[in-house]
Amino acid sequence: MTGPVGILLRTILLGVVTGSVYALASTGLVLTYKASGVLNFGYGAVAMFTAFVHWQLAAGWGLPVWLSAMIVVLVVAPLLGLLLDTHLFSRIQSQPMVIAVIATVGLTVLLQGIVFLVWGAESHRVPSMFPRAAVPLPGGAAIGADQVAIFVVAAGAAGLLAAMFRFTRLGVSFRAVVDNRPVAGLMGIDTGRVSGVAWALGTSFAALTGILLTPETLLDPNFLPFLVISNVLGAAIVGYLRSLPLAYAGGLLVGILQSIIIQYGRPQGFLVNLKDAVPFLIVVGAVLAAPKALRLAGLGASFVVRTREVAGAASPRARAPVATAVFGGLALVPLLAAGSPSWVISVTRGMVMGIVFLSLVILTGYSGQISLGHTAFMGISAFTAAHLAADLGVPVGIAAVAGALAAVPAGAAIGAIAVRLHGLFLALMTLGLAYVAQTMFFDNTSISRGLSGFPLPRPPGTSGDRPFFYIVLLALAAAALLASNLRTGRTGRVLAAMRDSETASRALGINVFKYKVVIFALSALMAGAGAILASMQTGTIGQRDFYPFLSLFLVTIAVVGGIFHVGGAIVSGMLFGLYPQVFGNVEIMGRLQYLLFGMGATLALARNPEGLFGELRRAGVALLAATARRRRPRAGPVPVAGGRE
Amino acid sequence: MNALEAREITVRFGGLVAVSDATVEVPATGFTGLIGPNGAGKTTLFNVVGGFLAPERGRVLLGGRDVTRTAPAGRAKLGLGRTFQRLELFGRMSVFDNLLVAAEAGASRLGLAADLLNLPVRRSEERRCARIALDMLDSLDLGWARDRRASDLPVGTARILELGRALCRNPSMLLLDEPSSGLDSAETEVLAGLLRRINAERGVSILLVEHDMDLVMDVCRDIYVLDFGRMIARGAPAQVKADPAVRAAYLGEEDDAAPAAPAGS
Repeated sequence: MTGPVGILLRTILLGVVTGSVYALASTGLVLTYKASGVLNFGYGAVAMFTAFVHWQLAAGWGLPVWLSAMIVVLVVAPLLGLLLDTHLFSRIQSQPMVIAVIATVGLTVLLQGIVFLVWGAESHRVPSMFPRAAVPLPGGAAIGADQVAIFVVAAGAAGLLAAMFRFTRLGVSFRAVVDNRPVAGLMGIDTGRVSGVAWALGTSFAALTGILLTPETLLDPNFLPFLVISNVLGAAIVGYLRSLPLAYAGGLLVGILQSIIIQYGRPQGFLVNLKDAVPFLIVVGAVLAAPKALRLAGLGASFVVRTREVAGAASPRARAPVATAVFGGLALVPLLAAGSPSWVISVTRGMVMGIVFLSLVILTGYSGQISLGHTAFMGISAFTAAHLAADLGVPVGIAAVAGALAAVPAGAAIGAIAVRLHGLFLALMTLGLAYVAQTMFFDNTSISRGLSGFPLPRPPGTSGDRPFFYIVLLALAAAALLASNLRTGRTGRVLAAMRDSETASRALGINVFKYKVVIFALSALMAGAGAILASMQTGTIGQRDFYPFLSLFLVTIAVVGGIFHVGGAIVSGMLFGLYPQVFGNVEIMGRLQYLLFGMGATLALARNPEGLFGELRRAGVALLAATARRRRPRAGPVPVAGGRE
Repeated sequence: MNALEAREITVRFGGLVAVSDATVEVPATGFTGLIGPNGAGKTTLFNVVGGFLAPERGRVLLGGRDVTRTAPAGRAKLGLGRTFQRLELFGRMSVFDNLLVAAEAGASRLGLAADLLNLPVRRSEERRCARIALDMLDSLDLGWARDRRASDLPVGTARILELGRALCRNPSMLLLDEPSSGLDSAETEVLAGLLRRINAERGVSILLVEHDMDLVMDVCRDIYVLDFGRMIARGAPAQVKADPAVRAAYLGEEDDAAPAAPAGS
């Protein structure tokens, strides 16, 4: 017979066990962040990837489970960590935060891509290396021996790290670097070596996390990275990514809170998924409660886009013909592709996503803010429109407009918060909101009607793919025009000014609050409109259509396409829409999709921040110059489209 | 009526009293200096006046109006302009756009919707504000740098651009935080002439916080001296220079801050 005391004890102990795994991961994450300056949003993906290697060794090739775990944690993971450090992260250390965020997001996409390619998308149950015998507890309850072992191993690894810090010479350099990297560098400490060791250790911890978690949780390549990173970010934020002991304590806190909710909470309605929202409620709370200096510094991570010159807007004279050509060309697609309707569908998809990418261009490219939570706005709009149309019988056109507008208050609210938050804090906060929106609202079947999908019909008369194509083309043109006006006008100048110096903007009487609210609201409106059109195109909205990971993936593609220009958004949209069309019949390319985009973002980024659009424009300008030279061999210098007028 | 009054300002950081019961008055079209050794509390007092720091006690009046609780942006709208000791230019914008943003912040009547929809009024408003910015460019002899990126400017030019940006907003009261830092003596000379012109021709009242005593003695008509958060002297340049308390404050300090006071001019 198990009494209430026993249940309480068991609940807390189970929380401590899971919590200690998160604590381990959180310590590894903060360690790497402090030593290298890169917050690894791909930490969960690293855990997932190494767990797959472990699964291959143990279940696939029949190695003893403990041996496989040792190989992965002590050999494979550290090597992977070193590889990541030397080939990727040491190169972007001095880059602004957005680059690092996108690189680690790209890492997630890349590792997932490798896993899909090698092992497929199925989930697996990873064998446990511990016995499952029950250990009795006072009060009549019991807990599995494997649970005890998990705690011992996780706590032991963290304890070893603490001992290394305290007693070894390397530990002293480590503490110095973790405390203040620039100063440690000046004092002659080899910060590069410390950063390498930190990546090796952090990756080891991630591997151990995956190996300890996956006997309990399925090894699911879609789900595990986000389970880990969401819980770990919640844990790490407790010490504001600064303190290792507090990061450890944060892991325990997350584990215990979740265990208590599972045991005692009988949540209903909105609260049904409260457990999953715990880490991000902690993030949101901690971020908002952070000391002012910390908030404004954004954890010391500047979110200024890199210093290299980013070309200004093209002069109106040069821009108009290009825009006309692009939109004219798009308008011809249904006629040219009359024989292959799938092309029309794909280009439509690309244009719809182009609207979503425009929302990121105006937010990140023009005003230097970051949002990793745009799926929240997209979901709010799409589900609002669907409910208005289905439940209240509102005509679809009006429902669509109202739905898009429904994202505006949400965007404005985030904008109001963004006045108080900079850099990494804003990134974490928005990602947190995307998770809360997903777990508490979109996963709620009274809102989303489950996985089968909520119908959202197209406006009357556009049910055919051609008429719908032109509706979308019009919407994209309107959004592009709005974004272009935004960039070239007074508002664009104010946003650029705020991006460069908020202090000076305030001193000039610029209402920083108003403009942040406006830009987030506009961005949310565009994202929402794009989401509604995307849902109309498929005809339904699935519960998982606006999964938070999509936010990260979108930011990645937006950077690959070019995040500073309207044209970049269109390139990004086409990348997104046409990839399956072009490579649809080549199975390997379908599997490579994430990998390619991930690599594109992580590796190409450091070379050309203007993305593919920048390359295209450079090529176009060079071509124009060459033709002009041939035509008028003695003419003066050719006006270049890229320069300011 | 005074252009600016900071009355009995006290600021404490934890246990440390940074500014204690300090009062500064700048008469209309006045040119007032605020000096003091390192750590005297000049920048703290300055930030209180600019609205970036709330005082524990005391009031700030701008043209007779109490602005103690008004945010920096609100003070700017009431005619307060400022420059920064650590340059705060809009680094990735052109010199011209730096000025244009300021001109628009002051003079544009363009609404958000009209701007985003590119209504005809946008063009006329832009032209009007661009005129202000171009005039400023001319009057500061910055025409050659018009399309340069602000972050690429040499520090002397950058300081003048920052001054011009503040002026584009058409302020009645200008706060200058160590505008000569990073300038050589020739550049400081040019700056002094410019400041006098701004004060005399545009009728802008100026409060100048400075390290460079020569500059302050040269341009200011009225000088306050702050030491350890307290106002220890006030008066005309000659008066202040002769004040024993001021001499003690400066001579009591070491090396580079000292020579300017008694040894200078």
